[in-house]
Amino acid sequence: MKHGRFMVGLVGVAAVVTYLVWTGVSSTMVYYLTPVELMERIEEDPSFRDLGVKVSGKVVPGTYDRVEGQLLHRFDVHDLEDESVTFTVEWRDALPDTFTEEVEVVLEGRLNEAGTFEATTLLTKCGSRFEAAPEDLAR
Amino acid sequence: MTVLGEFALWISLPVALWGMFLGFAGGRTQRGDLVLSAERSIYAVFLLHVVASLGIVAAFLGDKFQYWYVASYSNRELELFYKITGLWAGQRGSLLFWALLLGFFASVAVFTNRNKNREFMPYVAGVLQTVLAFFVVVLLFAQVNPFERLDFIPANGQGLNPQLQNYWMTIHPPTLYLGFTAFTVPFAFAVSALLSGRLDARWIQLTRKWILTSWLFLSVGIVFGMRWAYEELGWGGYWFWDPVENASLLPWLTATAFLHSIQIQEKRGMLKVWNMSLVLMTFLLTIFATFLTRAGLIESVHTFAQNLQIAYIFLGFMGSVLALCAVLIVYRLPQLQSENQIESFVSRESAFLFNNLLFVGAAFAVMWGTLFPLITEGVTGQEISVGPPFFERVNFPIGLALLTLVGIGPVIAWRRATKKNLQRNFSTPVVAGLVVAAALWFAGARHGLALVTWSISAFVLTVIATEFWKGTKARARIEGEGFLLAFFHLVTRNRRRWGGYIVHVGFVIMVMGFAGAAYNVDTRHHMMPGDVVEVASPLGHTYALTYEGLSVSMGQGQRNLLWQVIATVSVVADGEPAGILNTEKRRYVTSEQDMTEVGIRSTAMEDLYLILSAVDDTRGALSADSSAQGIDLQVLIKPLVGWIWFGCVMLVIGTFVALWPSADRRRAAAETDADQAPDPRPTPIGSAG
Repeated sequence: MKHGRFMVGLVGVAAVVTYLVWTGVSSTMVYYLTPVELMERIEEDPSFRDLGVKVSGKVVPGTYDRVEGQLLHRFDVHDLEDESVTFTVEWRDALPDTFTEEVEVVLEGRLNEAGTFEATTLLTKCGSRFEAAPEDLAR
Repeated sequence: MTVLGEFALWISLPVALWGMFLGFAGGRTQRGDLVLSAERSIYAVFLLHVVASLGIVAAFLGDKFQYWYVASYSNRELELFYKITGLWAGQRGSLLFWALLLGFFASVAVFTNRNKNREFMPYVAGVLQTVLAFFVVVLLFAQVNPFERLDFIPANGQGLNPQLQNYWMTIHPPTLYLGFTAFTVPFAFAVSALLSGRLDARWIQLTRKWILTSWLFLSVGIVFGMRWAYEELGWGGYWFWDPVENASLLPWLTATAFLHSIQIQEKRGMLKVWNMSLVLMTFLLTIFATFLTRAGLIESVHTFAQNLQIAYIFLGFMGSVLALCAVLIVYRLPQLQSENQIESFVSRESAFLFNNLLFVGAAFAVMWGTLFPLITEGVTGQEISVGPPFFERVNFPIGLALLTLVGIGPVIAWRRATKKNLQRNFSTPVVAGLVVAAALWFAGARHGLALVTWSISAFVLTVIATEFWKGTKARARIEGEGFLLAFFHLVTRNRRRWGGYIVHVGFVIMVMGFAGAAYNVDTRHHMMPGDVVEVASPLGHTYALTYEGLSVSMGQGQRNLLWQVIATVSVVADGEPAGILNTEKRRYVTSEQDMTEVGIRSTAMEDLYLILSAVDDTRGALSADSSAQGIDLQVLIKPLVGWIWFGCVMLVIGTFVALWPSADRRRAAAETDADQAPDPRPTPIGSAG
């Protein structure tokens, strides 16, 4: 009767999976903040800068600029609620097609000492991505 | 037609509720007339949904923009093809489409069982109608009625999102939905088994083909989605660990576990509670996948607008199903006892169990990562998310363990494997794996994870190839047949087993393709016409790419195109001219965004993938300013991507082999209706010990 040994195996697998999930979460998790929250955190504790964060905000129209030949894009982002809180974002990759100066973006990366957000991922976010809001139709 | 369609949708609700009630009542009272009525109500609901769907299609074809759904997903200029597929392009239509497919499968299930398996059918009909009624309720009462009218008539529609105007996108969602909805049938049989008390392996035998069909559509649907992402999203990847992708992966993981664990119940009468739980879990996860997409609770590239009402309805439904089924399982626990016990740690049962545990573990991890932002926000008020690194960290080790089991499972003996059994079956494959690892190492491959993956893959493929070889050889000797004929007969005599092996081969090839991503090359260049860049691939090829310049085409509104700016690049591969690749930016009349179209040159071993990242001066290019020709070009090399698509084809072939009714089985079915005999599968050659 190898039942005991068998249970050890099962529990072992369950333990390994749990361990993977646990360490996976703790080593890859990022805070998801608004620009206002990010600024507050940094003010409280300047070392917070070194932590990667995820931030969502709205692109400020008219601030988009592309540095020719370097594949570098710059634009400003402001908080959804408090438009006075802004920072400049640097993005060194191709922009997704959905990026325009009117969209809300979700960025991952870190805010450097100079106050520029060095983004490592950039997603555009709009509830209407595949769907129009009824109001839009009335144009 | 459209008004008729709307009417049909409303009528389908009382009919579904009626059928639901009659099904359960008929099962309880054993009254044949009630059951018959319940079954017929399923056909009725399906036909009503056909009419409703035709109504939507008619509205699209007739440019009836007074309907919100049509106005949001179509415009006059949209191609006919996309007007028809508009039925499932958006949330509202796709929910109706879901109900339509479910009705279709339900009708097929009822029809094929009209003269047999009657003890199951009352409750099966009841459960199917319950799920159908649920979707109709959602359609009618959760602000997603596709027939909703605007209080004005727009002059033109908004048009279909350009990213959805792609061939793969029109077949990816329906394929997935086919997989999701088909799984409702095994679920209905499982619940029926619980309710009627017929708890042997019969319900599993009856639904094996349904499970396989559902699994096939799920697999193919997921791969179609990957293909779409690869070709259309323009960043060179195919999997993103996006919440909705994850949501489609979850039922696939548990369904795959289920496909394996039912074999233990059939063979050894074990794991009955576990199988019930898995079928329930998989069904709930198919609903969960819809829920996650429709409710918009988690940010994703796929989600439609957030709709809390739908969220509550779905949560309520999933909660009730879970609670009711849990009660049923507990109530039937005494009848769900195992007939056997696991005898040895080293046995096929054990390998299957570990397979199950790993699949469910992977599903748990994926689910946890997907819901993590919601959980942390609920618990701490602070949203914390995990991204692709989390999913990779957790799933790569689990995936490798599963891959290893693909090699071990099929040849290890049932009950108790002896040392001899192990040695005989595994010595050569282990050596093959090590040889491949060493060869790749000396060829310059240094990426640890990829090396391990390819090495294990070689091990697994050797195991399977040996099985085929041994079987064919034995058959050729015993029956005196030629090798080709012997091989053919070997497979056709036990399609289930050998089909399964072919599926495994396909899976392994796909995994090898995934590992190729470790050697992706990604370079970026700013180029003017005449500029040449050389890019070396990890497989030793060199590509010389000459940027020939931009050409512009004004769309004049045809196919909704406003303009295209096309960069032409001529390719010289290893010194040989290899044609021209185009990559472009285009603008549709209905969208304010530019769309990037990539240029891909596929070969068996690697893809060359060009992305027009940016045009220096789009306006200048459009006004034919000859100096406005500078571009940012991204050049990617993607080793082994083609293996993923090829592996998927193998997987489909294998599933078809397993699904095809065998000649013996057909005869048996004709002779006796109750095909009760367990699958007369011989123990695999070499596992006699």
